[in-house]
Amino acid sequence: MIPKNIILSENKKELTLEYEVKKSVMSAEFLRVNSPSAEVKGHSPAQKKTVSGKRGISINSIELVGNYAIKLIFDDGHSTGIYTWQYLQELFMGKDKIWKEYISELRKKGLYRD
Amino acid sequence: MSDVKTLAIEKLKLLNPEYPELIEAIVVANKKIYLSLKTDKTKIDIFTRIKLQIEKELSAIDGIDSVSVSLTSHSESMQSKADTRAVTSGISEVRNIISVASGKGGVGKSTISINLAVAINQLGFSVGLLDADVYGPSIPKLVGDRQKPKKSKAGKILPIQKYNISLMSIGFLVPEDSPMIWRGPMVITAVSQMLNDVEWGQLDYLIVDMPPGTGDVQLTMAQRVPMSGAVIVSTPQDLALIDAIKGIEMFKKVNVPILGMIENMSTFICPNCKNESHIFGFEGAKVEAKNQNVDFLGDIPLEIDLRECSDNGKPIMLSKTDSTVSKKFLEIAKLVKSKIEDNSNSEKPNIIIN
Ligand SMILES: Nc1ncnc2c1ncn2[C@@H]1O[C@H](COP(=O)(O)OP(=O)(O)OP(=O)(O)O)[C@@H](O)[C@H]1O
Ligand SMILES: [Mg+2]
Repeated sequence: MIPKNIILSENKKELTLEYEVKKSVMSAEFLRVNSPSAEVKGHSPAQKKTVSGKRGISINSIELVGNYAIKLIFDDGHSTGIYTWQYLQELFMGKDKIWKEYISELRKKGLYRD
Repeated sequence: MSDVKTLAIEKLKLLNPEYPELIEAIVVANKKIYLSLKTDKTKIDIFTRIKLQIEKELSAIDGIDSVSVSLTSHSESMQSKADTRAVTSGISEVRNIISVASGKGGVGKSTISINLAVAINQLGFSVGLLDADVYGPSIPKLVGDRQKPKKSKAGKILPIQKYNISLMSIGFLVPEDSPMIWRGPMVITAVSQMLNDVEWGQLDYLIVDMPPGTGDVQLTMAQRVPMSGAVIVSTPQDLALIDAIKGIEMFKKVNVPILGMIENMSTFICPNCKNESHIFGFEGAKVEAKNQNVDFLGDIPLEIDLRECSDNGKPIMLSKTDSTVSKKFLEIAKLVKSKIEDNSNSEKPNIIIN
């Protein structure tokens, strides 16, 4: 599903996706630590890296990629994540669960959000 | 004392599987452990915390009096190294990705992919073709070329240029007769590398020739490859149609729009008597497209010329431009193009930056 509007908040720390009937707000940190780029996701689940220390990160800019995705450019220089409509939808539908899993992964690995 | 060293590394691994990668040097002497860690200057707070954590953990080792961890920051941290490795992903300048799929094998996906690629190029667009069938790559044979891809200055693989199309296939990367045994995750890896690590450059269309089937590998691929739409190929036979429906359902599951169905090997025109016969049934795909509520993009007859051109490594679109089949491919290409344009005109989000 393709969002109608993609809105970056004034402080650049929140991204709002507006669909036909639904609306979802995701923090830049959430999007950054779940970046679909190969260097974060690896090429298989076993290679997945846990990205830590991204609290308060902001999004510098947003670019359309073809007609299937957006690329988010974060202020830590990360710019290789291509977020497809499909992936954005997965993120917002599973938001709470994905976030919980992330926090427990951080804890398990002794990492921090700061 | 080397066993203390091993133990220390084990302990680091337990704290965080990534910590051992940060070690620059570790020395054990006089009941002391000296450890230096690669540090990211910009994250000094985190590393200070890691330092304390490690010192505490390692001083608990039997026979160790003290632990000293030093932070060195002359080399990049893992994270920042990874981030600069590839500034743009290989497909970030590709406007539309279209996959050509079927449930059943051997129905003509690869034949249609290459001719569709040429046809779209003849409409005036830049086109690439990715052979995602790592089990049975066919693109090198279809274009009669087996040259090894070169690398760009940035270390990315450059696609093979042939017939004005940018091409990539596992067949270009490994020798023809080398046995390839693939397990599911490796297939996905190979395909994502051919997408992301190949410098596709600016393309209007990238056609993806999918491997046959609707299993986990195909499903993951449909999810991972950012597709603008899928074209389903089927013969008019019932069995092939059942598999084609599975294909349609698979793409629907992952929200990839179905651009339509192509019926291949639909009629056979006898070269001698010019009579049409329907070896694999008649208009089965057309009827099924209607049942499934997807568009019918056209039919390609069973044509000896088509197979012969393919076997000779020059697609019929280029070697017999005036043939009925070539004209049909061109019509299909126009339909695909206009469907993609309709979809993208109506369905582009507004990006609002406050
Ligand atoms: N319309 C046609 N007329 C004559 N021969 C055809 C036609 N379509 C395909 N073929 C031939 O049928 C064979 C299988 O076609 P092709 O390799 O394109 O199928 P595929 O679906 O890609 O197969 P696979 O599932 O193995 O990838 C090839 O030898 C090809 O030349
Ligand atoms: Mg094939």
